[in-house]
Amino acid sequence: MTRIDVHELTKEYGATRAVDRLTFAVEPGRVTGFLGPNGAGKSTTMRLVLGLDRPTSGTATVGGRAYTALDAPLRQVGALLDPQAAHGSRTARAHLLALAASNRIPARRVDEVLDEAGLSAVAGRRVKSYSLGMRQRLGVAAALLGDPAVLMLDEPSNGLDPESIIWVRELMRRLAREGRTVLVSSHLMNETASFADHLVVLGRGRLLADLPLQEFIDTQVQPRVRVRSSDDSALAALLEGHGYRPVREPDSGPLTVADARVADIGRIAARAGVPILELAAQEGTLEEAYLALTADAVEYTSARTADSASAVRESQEARR
Amino acid sequence: MSFTAVLHSEWIKIKSLRGPAGSLLAVLLVTLGVTALAFATIGQAEADNPGAEPLYDAFYALNFGQVAALAFGATAISSEYLNGALRVSLAAVPRRTHFYAAKIAVIGGLALATGLVTAFAAFLLGQSFMGSYAIGLDHPGAVRACVGAGVYLALLALLAAGLATVLRSGVAVLSILIPFVLIVPFVIGDVAGSVAEFLPDRAGQQVLHAAPAGHLGPWSGLAVCAAWSAAAVLAGLWTLRRRDA
Repeated sequence: MTRIDVHELTKEYGATRAVDRLTFAVEPGRVTGFLGPNGAGKSTTMRLVLGLDRPTSGTATVGGRAYTALDAPLRQVGALLDPQAAHGSRTARAHLLALAASNRIPARRVDEVLDEAGLSAVAGRRVKSYSLGMRQRLGVAAALLGDPAVLMLDEPSNGLDPESIIWVRELMRRLAREGRTVLVSSHLMNETASFADHLVVLGRGRLLADLPLQEFIDTQVQPRVRVRSSDDSALAALLEGHGYRPVREPDSGPLTVADARVADIGRIAARAGVPILELAAQEGTLEEAYLALTADAVEYTSARTADSASAVRESQEARR
Repeated sequence: MSFTAVLHSEWIKIKSLRGPAGSLLAVLLVTLGVTALAFATIGQAEADNPGAEPLYDAFYALNFGQVAALAFGATAISSEYLNGALRVSLAAVPRRTHFYAAKIAVIGGLALATGLVTAFAAFLLGQSFMGSYAIGLDHPGAVRACVGAGVYLALLALLAAGLATVLRSGVAVLSILIPFVLIVPFVIGDVAGSVAEFLPDRAGQQVLHAAPAGHLGPWSGLAVCAAWSAAAVLAGLWTLRRRDA
């Protein structure tokens, strides 16, 4: 078993509860996105799983065992926490060689992961000459070093150029296909939606959701239909007559009908003989779902969050 | 988890950093450089002084080399406290006692080897300038003093390493230890008399005297110095095991 199990995990720093009675499991064979705003407790949870911080209460195990009890931990769990962690005056190769030696990982693996991360050509350079993107790649290389069945990556796309973002995304998807357990934290919604199969969402140290990606979106965002007719006011009146509440978009754009399905709207319009120019289902996005969830949670109903949530919604509408 | 594997890892780490390697080299070069300078110029003139003590004076340059030994111990540890490097180290070696013991062993071993080479080389180099005043390794207590000086340098490096683990900073350690080792004994030395004898540097340097005066003998003095280092190293272990990384 290579599950990550977090049970009733709590971590307090002084009076602050960074992680609050958190319980969830990360399953193998899929990429689990670990979502939450900065300060929600994602990094703290990862440090607790790695035994770096001691929980106030509760447990975190990997494959049923505490991380600190693992004999050669890098062969079982690979983690990327902070891309700045490699010492600037060491070369990338020396950094990885030191890690490999501690877990009796053959030195040949160092060259393999450097190659995989696209760092072979610069492996002999001191890390201080690396860009943030190259340091991220080095951090990912370190995580892959022991060919582990469990990977935990904290914000791996941070500071990466578009090409590297695609690289890390494809890598995570491949690792999951190979049957590994992959937990990836992020605060970027669109990015997470592009690689995650499953989501664990945190807010203020608490678990807000633990669902498959699509299910999460469906539970949070109502299905909507966008419809345009040659006679929009007749169409609006018709739909209102059927109990729908169509909303006219600015600049006399199409109508948006909340909580509706294309099959129903199309049938109603056809029966009434109203000509339809456009009819489309609107998929909710992870961003909308996330904002809907966090707006529901009591601790998020500050004016600032609500404002930014509606701003994001507006900008999305505008894009459509 | 194999201790030799962790030891190997720490060896790779320390030799791939410029700071510790440079400090270690400085122990040798500073001590030899100051020895050459002092003995080539005023060595023979000083030997005529009534208070001259040929064996103890042979290690005059140790006062400078020991600062580099402190710097070595401090920088070898403080590199772990930059940008979360310790988290990467402890994720690879979660058994903190293993991790720390390997680190201390590598620091102590390297400092001892360098210290011994430095002590013998400085002794022989200095005496080569002394003409008719020169003493050899057959001088009473000379070999003991050379070995003791090497051990003393290693103990200072460990003192700094232990304290750097407690304070999580090399700069903090050096700003405490350099005054503590270099200045405090001079200032309070004559006033507090017997108390100053038990400070790490005074106690540790007893081994350099052919016939040490005061409460501590050559080896008991070194043992007191070792007790300071052991206290610092154990305090470091206690903090490392207890604290969140």
